[in-house]
Amino acid sequence: MKVLKTFSIFAAALMLTDAAQARVKLVALPARARVVVSLANLQATLVEEERIITLQKGVNKIDFSWKGVSIDPASIQIRMLDQPGKVKVLNTSYPPNEQALIWEIASPAASAERMRISYLLQGITRQVVYKATAETDETTLTLRNYLRIRNHSGEDLDKAEIGIGYGANFKRTVQHQETIELLSERIEKLPIKKILTWDSKQLPWDPEYEKKTVGIPLNYVIKNDKASKLGVHTLLPGKVRIFIKTKEGVAFTGEDWGGLTPVDREMKLYIGQSREVKVVQRKTTDERVNLRRNNGNRVVMWDQNEVYKVEIQNFKTTPVTLVVREHIPGYWTMIESTHKYDKKDAFTIEYTLELPAKSTGDKNTTLTFNVRRKNVQGNEPSTY
Amino acid sequence: MKRLFIILLAAVCLPNAQARINVTSLPGRDSVQLTIYNSADLTLVKETRTLTLKKGRNRLEFSWAGTLIDPTSVEFRPITHADEVEILDIRFPPRVTNTLEWNIHSEFAGEVKTEIRYFTSGITWNADYVCEANANENQMTFAGNVRITNRSGEDYPKAQIRLVVGVVRLVEKIIDLARQGQPAPPAGVSRPTLETATRARAGNALGAALREAEERQNEVVKEALGEYFLYTVGGRDTIANGWSKRLPSFNTAEVPIVSYYKYEKERYGAGVMRFYKFKNDEKSKLGKEPLPDGSVMAFRTVTQDNLYNFVGRTAVKYIPIDEEVEMQLGNDAEVRIAPKMMNWQKDAIHFDKNGNVTGWTTKATWQIELQNSKSIPVTIDIRRTFPGDWEVATEDKFEKVDAKKIKFVLQLNPGEKRTLNYTLTTRHGTNATK
Repeated sequence: MKVLKTFSIFAAALMLTDAAQARVKLVALPARARVVVSLANLQATLVEEERIITLQKGVNKIDFSWKGVSIDPASIQIRMLDQPGKVKVLNTSYPPNEQALIWEIASPAASAERMRISYLLQGITRQVVYKATAETDETTLTLRNYLRIRNHSGEDLDKAEIGIGYGANFKRTVQHQETIELLSERIEKLPIKKILTWDSKQLPWDPEYEKKTVGIPLNYVIKNDKASKLGVHTLLPGKVRIFIKTKEGVAFTGEDWGGLTPVDREMKLYIGQSREVKVVQRKTTDERVNLRRNNGNRVVMWDQNEVYKVEIQNFKTTPVTLVVREHIPGYWTMIESTHKYDKKDAFTIEYTLELPAKSTGDKNTTLTFNVRRKNVQGNEPSTY
Repeated sequence: MKRLFIILLAAVCLPNAQARINVTSLPGRDSVQLTIYNSADLTLVKETRTLTLKKGRNRLEFSWAGTLIDPTSVEFRPITHADEVEILDIRFPPRVTNTLEWNIHSEFAGEVKTEIRYFTSGITWNADYVCEANANENQMTFAGNVRITNRSGEDYPKAQIRLVVGVVRLVEKIIDLARQGQPAPPAGVSRPTLETATRARAGNALGAALREAEERQNEVVKEALGEYFLYTVGGRDTIANGWSKRLPSFNTAEVPIVSYYKYEKERYGAGVMRFYKFKNDEKSKLGKEPLPDGSVMAFRTVTQDNLYNFVGRTAVKYIPIDEEVEMQLGNDAEVRIAPKMMNWQKDAIHFDKNGNVTGWTTKATWQIELQNSKSIPVTIDIRRTFPGDWEVATEDKFEKVDAKKIKFVLQLNPGEKRTLNYTLTTRHGTNATK
């Protein structure tokens, strides 16, 4: 692939002509001494390249031009690395209708100067891709974290040091129109939790009325902490493909978009549904109490007494963790509950239940709770 | 691209258009000065030319086809022999645009130094800044530049350049006047008037001392002019038509900054907005001059050899001396601020004599999860807006911003996680006390 960007320097003697005539083409073309690509900012790709340029004593003109490359001209910076206080940029000229600029650089003596040119380059996209292979018992997995770089910038990045904001930089060549995938992390035996979540707002309460077997969303939960051999940096969003080991090779179990996960927080991956667990929820009591009437005998406020019964059967031969998520609007108090719950917010509670293997029929898990919703007027908030 | 022509015509007055080809001399410019405004598309051009006049009547033609000169603004004035040279009238010939003729009576025969002054559109300047924060984000090197762009249709070689900051009032745009080619009253206006320098925004203007390199020994002369600030770039510069030129203005190292994060749902949505804050004062090694509004590119040096991370880009407003500046640099996922309402109650119900509910009080308990995933400490500013008759109870320190808004300002150490808790009581209906 041809490098489309050109870089040239004019000797001092050549450049005393008027700026408008200065678009004479190159005298020397110093090769890049170093290229660094920073992908740390999710919105923009920063390229820094270093060139060693022989300067004459006095004022030198350096022509920096690019064709077929999408560089934001306002972003271009130049820094002197060898003699930053002595070699000075006098000004920058931008010729009309050209993707180019000319630096006038004053040097106190004839010398070779290492310069670093930085600019924002469009057309380089990066994706974080996770590939996970779970052990057969689904308690641990091997997580491989890849950085996929797609270069459609028009520019070949030769032996570029590519950084993503954490960890060591990769040194790779990425040609124009090339996509590379780099393994950035590999974690063996990363503990996972496998959790089914039954949400009373999203799933039918009585599967008997459904034509198809109700699937309960199944998640793998990875915690970004030291105990999980992670916890060093925020996990960036990306697609996670999950495989499971089989007697021969692996099988694909599902994929999800992993969200941005700071240290000590959980990445929840929805990988499919389980039809081996059946949940039936019924409201066994639903009555208005403590009625308050106005002079027209209309009930203007009341309390609502609600009892819920949730019967859960696990048909699997292994135990299962099930989260039952319930939504209770307005002002409420829990009168009674057979199981401990976590209050996730004002209007949401979660029960985390360990369902024994083959807990069906009489051996099922039954959860009941009695909620008193208070001072109800029919306009209770359920979100905030 | 020379499109401005000045022609001395034969002394005898020739009434028809062909007369203008009767050229006697073509004086070039001796000097040019450009005074460029940044609040309006306006540049005052002052050029000097040496003309050879005859005793008696002289006609002088000035034409500017292909440029953006305002014909109503062109003025002519003798500098030498001023008491011997008199302008009798100015004529814009028929059927010819972008041309005028001065009818001059001279008592003197020989070279006369003259000044021609006019407004042109198409030359602009703006400021830009580069912020180079250190790895700890507590100091920056702050560099200012000015960029001048010439799209006026005319080259102004070796011009003295002056830059003005300040808000100039124009009742008509220079570009519109330029396109007319000749003075013409716009509809509804009896006579175009041009008011410059009426009122300016608070504070005078322009920062950016333009510094040329020592090699050129250029100086920058700063002048406060009423509500304006005028900077004269030392030496002479050529900015050919179509070209832009960026000149370094200042470069100050070790300017203290505060890395600052704001959360205000009503203003920035659910994300956390990142800011660098600094003060344009002497303590911060700035404060020598106000800084004109302009764009900012912010980088952070992250390695021993000062490689950059791109932090963000933004625009800053005009910054007077001693003013604190916030540069808004976009979202940062490494700082998490997540408010959750953990409890909600409705109590203290009041009924009127008819038994209808007229007053009630809600009590909401909020928990804000804070997490700094960065390796450096950060300051967080969280603002919460509450309608109605409200009251906040919390063990955390907060400040009332206005009648409906409070803010929590706190520091988070590297990797720190904590929660902020408060209870919001709101009195509704007849329960309201204010």
